[in-house]
Amino acid sequence: MSLFFDILAGSLMAAGLIFFVGTVTGMLRFPDFYTRMHAGGKGDTLSTILILLGAAVHVSEDFFHDPIHQWGVLLVMVKILGIAAFLMLTSPTSTHALMRAGFEDAHETDETVVDKDQDGPSLEELQSRTWEERS
Amino acid sequence: MIWQLDLILLIFLVITALISLRVRDLLGASMVFGIYSFLICLLWAGMGAVDVAFTEAAVGAGVSTVILVATVYHTRRVTGGHKRASGMKVLSLLLMLVLGGVLLHASGDFPALGDPTSPANDHPVAQYYIEGSYQDTKVPNLVTSVLADYRGYDTLFETVVVFVAGIGILAVIGVPTARMRREEVCGDTAQFGEDSDLIILQTCRLVVPVLQLFALYVIAHGHHSPGGGFQGGVLFGASYILLALSGGLREALRRLSESMSFRLAACGIVIYAGFGLLCMALGSSFLDYAILDSILPGGVAMARSHSMLIVEAGVGFTVTTILFVIYANLATRGKLEGGL
Amino acid sequence: MELLTLTAQFEWILGKSNYWASTVLLLIGLHAMISKNNLIKKLIGMSIFQTGIILFYVSAGAKHGAQIPIVHYGHDSHESHDKAAHAAEHAADAGQQVAEAAAPAANHAANHAADATHTLGETLYVNPLPHVLMLTAIVVGVATLGLALAMVQKVYAAYGSIEEDEVLDAIADSTADSTVDSTVDRTVKGTPEA
Repeated sequence: MSLFFDILAGSLMAAGLIFFVGTVTGMLRFPDFYTRMHAGGKGDTLSTILILLGAAVHVSEDFFHDPIHQWGVLLVMVKILGIAAFLMLTSPTSTHALMRAGFEDAHETDETVVDKDQDGPSLEELQSRTWEERS
Repeated sequence: MIWQLDLILLIFLVITALISLRVRDLLGASMVFGIYSFLICLLWAGMGAVDVAFTEAAVGAGVSTVILVATVYHTRRVTGGHKRASGMKVLSLLLMLVLGGVLLHASGDFPALGDPTSPANDHPVAQYYIEGSYQDTKVPNLVTSVLADYRGYDTLFETVVVFVAGIGILAVIGVPTARMRREEVCGDTAQFGEDSDLIILQTCRLVVPVLQLFALYVIAHGHHSPGGGFQGGVLFGASYILLALSGGLREALRRLSESMSFRLAACGIVIYAGFGLLCMALGSSFLDYAILDSILPGGVAMARSHSMLIVEAGVGFTVTTILFVIYANLATRGKLEGGL
Repeated sequence: MELLTLTAQFEWILGKSNYWASTVLLLIGLHAMISKNNLIKKLIGMSIFQTGIILFYVSAGAKHGAQIPIVHYGHDSHESHDKAAHAAEHAADAGQQVAEAAAPAANHAANHAADATHTLGETLYVNPLPHVLMLTAIVVGVATLGLALAMVQKVYAAYGSIEEDEVLDAIADSTADSTVDSTVDRTVKGTPEA
């Protein structure tokens, strides 16, 4: 019985890790800001939720085996699932916030986030410099 | 303490510290500093320091990153390209090598990590806190009981330091004329964030009440779980910062104006110090909660537990409002309009 | 023999790794505060220095196999009453003590044996004192960082740069130039607009 729980928790966490590897590869190898954020936003949310579900399954094993602290274990499971729900709500929102900030940065040349210095680099130079350092 | 995880975290800690200091884009440096804070928070959680990890996650990784980004927004974003005289760098490196050599040599005499019989862990004061604290105060969280009861004096002045930081920021970059205009403008009935993004706005409108409720839970439940006045106060302040980031600073100021912030912060300190003076008025010494048994129900230990909750609420008031004031002033260069 | 000393050496390294990392972080932070040109990099160095100190203290209080510093109340408060040999305050306590004194009933003995490992005297709890001191340190650290960042913004508003050598040059120019009063607050005139 405990082996079943261990295998289930382990496979959920391993699936989360595999998606994370895919996310990181995407963020490193995609050519454009938007494609990178797309990979990051989707993969990050999914893999974190999978890892949290694996942790919840691992904790729920105690629910069946430890009769004294049953409600405590249930509380821990509910809290972990609450964190997963919160992440499901806010991680895509933060991805959206980042992508929108990047969009506004690139297209509204009069109202940029970066302070326009008289002798500092312009925004295009800054972006291209970052891309060159990456490649 | 899983040593594999600890070793990997330590290596990544040093790497991210070096990266955040080498990156030329200051926004990137702030982000890498946030990563550094999260990694060290994981390390402390692995070592059993759950309260410290909670505070570092909220304060170090959350608020520090936000105020660093706010300052970078109002100053230069890129650095580097300036060749300064390298004499100071070489001297500093030599000094670091000497200091490092001395410290590393001294670390040979340290007790091994995690040794329960090391002098720090074997000390009678620490032993008394572990063994006698629950009987004295009926508070299971040892860190909260030591913070708010046995070392309550330190916590009072820590709160005062936070308050002084708020006043100091007001003194350094606060702009009085814009502020007075701000008070007039705040009275009008502007629409909620007319120029902010719909998705972010609606998500934050869902998140902020839950966050505030959770912050109050953390303050109140700090006796039984990791938490307490500081962590809950930071979470509450962060909820106002979230309101400012999503809907505009005007919305956050409408709900918690700067004058109200300072009044609440002062109230927090008055609550804390007033409690101490109350103990003196009843005949005992400053912040000796045991004497409050005469007015609080439940016996001496419960009186100390209740007093701890009240002073933690005071701390929560101060930390909440001062963190919001710090953000509001840094994000707008003191003018409290426009900004991040 | 060689394998044994290798393991012993590795154990020794594991016992010191946190202190070495703390030392390295201290030195990185201190070097950044002294030698970096940019004011914000100096402040990041200051924060790294502070977290290095906190790592040192928390490592000093860590214990292998210890519980987090939250006492398991409920069952354990019963045990601590028994251990301290207080007079029984209510019937349940008296009942437990009587059962203890007599030949142990099977159920209660098993419970008692299971709970014996969770008593205050026998469970290792992590030393709470460094945690308390470091909580204060973290909060004071962020207050200091906020005030320092406000000063950075003021320096930028007054001198137009946050690189240390440019600021020093601007100060030298303004004091050398006798027609400019360096004590005048220039935030109104010379502020670069965001």
